[in-house]
Amino acid sequence: MFESGRSGKGAAFTSDHSGSLHALAMRHSACALAPLGLLSVWFIAHLSGQPYEAARAELGRPFPAIALIAFICIAAYHARLGMETIVEDYVHDAALKRRALTVNKWLTIAIGATWTLSIMIIAAPR
Amino acid sequence: MADADPVSERLAAARPLSPHLSVYKPIITMAMSIAHRISGAALYAGAILLAFYLLGLALGPSAFSAVSWIASSLIGKAFVFLFSWALLHHLLGGVRHAIWDRGLYLDGPGRELLAKATLGGGVALTILLWAAVALFG
Repeated sequence: MFESGRSGKGAAFTSDHSGSLHALAMRHSACALAPLGLLSVWFIAHLSGQPYEAARAELGRPFPAIALIAFICIAAYHARLGMETIVEDYVHDAALKRRALTVNKWLTIAIGATWTLSIMIIAAPR
Repeated sequence: MADADPVSERLAAARPLSPHLSVYKPIITMAMSIAHRISGAALYAGAILLAFYLLGLALGPSAFSAVSWIASSLIGKAFVFLFSWALLHHLLGGVRHAIWDRGLYLDGPGRELLAKATLGGGVALTILLWAAVALFG
């Protein structure tokens, strides 16, 4: 999240030197997401058109459950960083930008948590 | 940032933005760059929809009947199809960036080739995925 470390004159022109971390984090998460994404899109495609019991059985198996949880945990982080870039590019009002970045942070955490908890409930032995 | 002085605020507001889309000739590498961002944002929205679907599936049959349209109605099937395309396109866009990061295919023809491969590969993988689901599902 871009936040200039300075205040006062010239604050708008300084860097917080977080660019390298952002670039590396995107690339490292993408490395994990490439194989996990291929697996996940296969499992998600199988959910399409399935009735309740079949969808539960599909995600109730250990491998799809673990793959999808691993996928969404990293994807949520990757999505948060990506959306930060989009917000920083298009939202120029400082207050609105800060609010949008906060919403983005908690929304991506909520997405990751909802997927993870839902799949854990579905895959838990009954 | 909290108390930036009025002078630098005014200077920042007056600073010209770099020329944007309208001044450039549309080319495929630009289109694929934009497509990478749009597909990323679409996956964000898709992940929210799928979160509701998974939550309904976890809560039980009555909750599921409220959210099953997300993956099972005509619109839902179109959504899952488009989600898979966005994911595979975005994935190949990432591979393209990984290739560039290693200093490869950075010349004109190389860039064009990768842009076309991203578009064609994304479409091809999506067709392959759904053909495989239909055949071996």
